[in-house]
Amino acid sequence: MDIVPYLVNNGLISATGILLGLAVRNRFTTGCRIMIQRNQLDLRKFVVPEFICGYGALQLAGRYARNFGMKQVLLVTDPGVRAAGWADAVGESLTEAGVPFTIFDAISPNPRSGQVMAGAEVYHSEECNGIVAVGGGSPMDCAKGIGIVSSNMQDILTFEGVDRVPVPAPPLICIPTTAGSSADVSQFAIITDEMRRRKIALVSKALVPDISLLDPRPLTTMPLELTVDTGMDALCHAIEAYVSNASSPMTDLHALEAIRLIHSALPAVIEDPENLELRFSTLLASLHAGLAFSNASLGATHAMAHGLGGVYDLPHGRCNALLLEHVIAANYEAAPDRYDRIGAIFDREPGEQTTPAGEIAAFRRSIGITATLTELGIREDAIPTLARRAYADPCLVTNPRRLTCEDIERIYEHAL
Amino acid sequence: MSMHSEPPDDPDTLREKIIGLGETSLHKSYYPELQSRLAELERFRALLDQTHDAIFLIHAETGRLADVNASAGMYLDCSKKELLATPFINWISPQKKAVFDEFARRSCEQLPASRWTCIASLVSREGRETPVEITVRSVTFGDKQYLVAIARDITDRLQAERELKIKESALESSTNGILITDLAGTIMYANPGFASIFGYERGEMLAGRSLEIFFANPAIGKKVTDLLRKNHAITEETIGVRNGGSPFHIQVSGSVVQNDAGQPLCIMLIVMDITERILIDQLKRETCAQLGKNIEQFAILGDHIRNPLQVIVGYAEMIDDPLAKMILDQSDRIDEIITQLDRGWVESANVRQFLRRHGDDAEPRVETFIQRFSIKDWDS
Ligand SMILES: [Fe+2]
Repeated sequence: MDIVPYLVNNGLISATGILLGLAVRNRFTTGCRIMIQRNQLDLRKFVVPEFICGYGALQLAGRYARNFGMKQVLLVTDPGVRAAGWADAVGESLTEAGVPFTIFDAISPNPRSGQVMAGAEVYHSEECNGIVAVGGGSPMDCAKGIGIVSSNMQDILTFEGVDRVPVPAPPLICIPTTAGSSADVSQFAIITDEMRRRKIALVSKALVPDISLLDPRPLTTMPLELTVDTGMDALCHAIEAYVSNASSPMTDLHALEAIRLIHSALPAVIEDPENLELRFSTLLASLHAGLAFSNASLGATHAMAHGLGGVYDLPHGRCNALLLEHVIAANYEAAPDRYDRIGAIFDREPGEQTTPAGEIAAFRRSIGITATLTELGIREDAIPTLARRAYADPCLVTNPRRLTCEDIERIYEHAL
Repeated sequence: MSMHSEPPDDPDTLREKIIGLGETSLHKSYYPELQSRLAELERFRALLDQTHDAIFLIHAETGRLADVNASAGMYLDCSKKELLATPFINWISPQKKAVFDEFARRSCEQLPASRWTCIASLVSREGRETPVEITVRSVTFGDKQYLVAIARDITDRLQAERELKIKESALESSTNGILITDLAGTIMYANPGFASIFGYERGEMLAGRSLEIFFANPAIGKKVTDLLRKNHAITEETIGVRNGGSPFHIQVSGSVVQNDAGQPLCIMLIVMDITERILIDQLKRETCAQLGKNIEQFAILGDHIRNPLQVIVGYAEMIDDPLAKMILDQSDRIDEIITQLDRGWVESANVRQFLRRHGDDAEPRVETFIQRFSIKDWDS
């Protein structure tokens, strides 16, 4: 689907009229209704975990586990990562450091509340006192969940929302094997409530891992599709953090660098997946994006992708990739300068009349994401439910534009 | 300027460390220290779980359990998890609930209620009761008021108390005099029987006094304790002195009470008034002596009769006269009578022998430690 209907004469025109109406009102009541004004002097906080990046970083897992006083580690991973040998590599490092561990790998993509509780059970029964997560967003989010369930002795679903974790989790060492989720540096964990088939967002500074060991080697075993999806997720993080109403000069720095790195490295790594330097660039991009969004938070794209992922169990990065351009179009008026700056990074033919949303759409098509939501199996009659869920998602709070439930429905419709 | 003598790192190692790749380069974290403190706490909890006392931590405001040790769960047939957040008074005998509530209220209002002890029962989920002595203290952790209740199982103590009560009543009701003294012979306890034998109103009046005042010869008191220390048990007879000063015969049995390790703790004496028995014995002895004398006199008398009878028989045999036969016949009859008397004497002597052998008539035994005093001696 094209995004042209949104944009006429540099203004926002919606096929439905709702967005237009909002845009018109915005001209007279700037900041009151559809956007939140930002000021340089606004209070901001920047939380960042310790991280070590470079070749061989994952071999430091044992040393850090030992320095943290871990006596028994729960090594959280998933079957794919295990099969690729990265869980064993980390396990060896733990063994070398004399730290015993128990592997928990019963984790699916879009990790479920039941899997978190099962992991916490193992953590408890094995008398663990620290967690090492090896994998993409799923094992890392699950590991965060296991940590807070163990320290608080509560069901994972009770932590839904922002700042709902009273007792900090045991130390968590993350070794990301994808370049996208940035769960290894972020204050987010997304867990699927399997009973109600929805994704819940847990946001807390207590969820920021203690150490991230960023090693490019594990990225080389990612299949192409995963590389593309996680790369798009990272791009989405960077863009949403950059336009977030909670952004700051510090997050802007990381967000823009992330966007630049993804723009240059992601298409290249698709061509040359074994290239460690390119892989490392995507890993750095993900790190920058993570530092940005963990502190500036996200926006409507993620709120809506969480809605989709909960109901349809689709890859998170893919959902983001298919929603991003439509959200940019809907948000554009609330942060035109910022979106234009993003658009400029992606502009392939300067001088030609393009929009940031159009540039992003072209980019994702260029790396092979060409399907629509309809093709992924999403039906129009599901939209009201999806929109309601997205509307309740905490990511929506920092979207540059205040969206109503109807606005969100319209965006989903465009993305079908 | 560096004061220590360790060799300095080479520039490469130093650079590594500055980058943060040193073996111990770590972001500030309290976790390792917290872990060791937790381990310490765990060890302490294990210790608390080892004690037989049930320990309860109670929220003063709500009266609900905040924590318990393993023994608490054992007495109440519940897991710790099941016990937490239940009201403490649910687990104690009904008659103590109101008293406990009052104590909790006072400590909540910070009135003086620092410690309270009572005997109650812990009532398990199955209704099993365990008698306990509960000590409750008010404590403050942070800004929260708690009560710590420690319940000690007193089943064994109650049983021991019951047994002691029985033994005590046995001592109190015995008609024999029972005396418990320390090893030096100072009285710790005298039962009513003893008081009555010695003419005192109550046994309690005698505590603290010395043993010697109850013997006619005060030195015997010391002899008793000395002998007991040597022999551990004695049975002897001697003369006691009543409250008013009158002497009487007593038998004293004594033993040294020892603890499980065989160390002497105290002396226990059983005293019996044997005046009546002594008098009867004396009477018997006198009767026996009289009997002996009578028997001897009979024997002598027989011999005395036989001598003239022999002369008569001699004369009669020399007379040739029909009357002589009659004299001889009559003499034979007299002889037969004397023979019968002799036989009677022999039988009486056997009886006396028998009496002697069976002791009633025995000579008084040789005193081993107590100089025998007769009442007459005392009187004189
Ligand atoms: Fe994401």
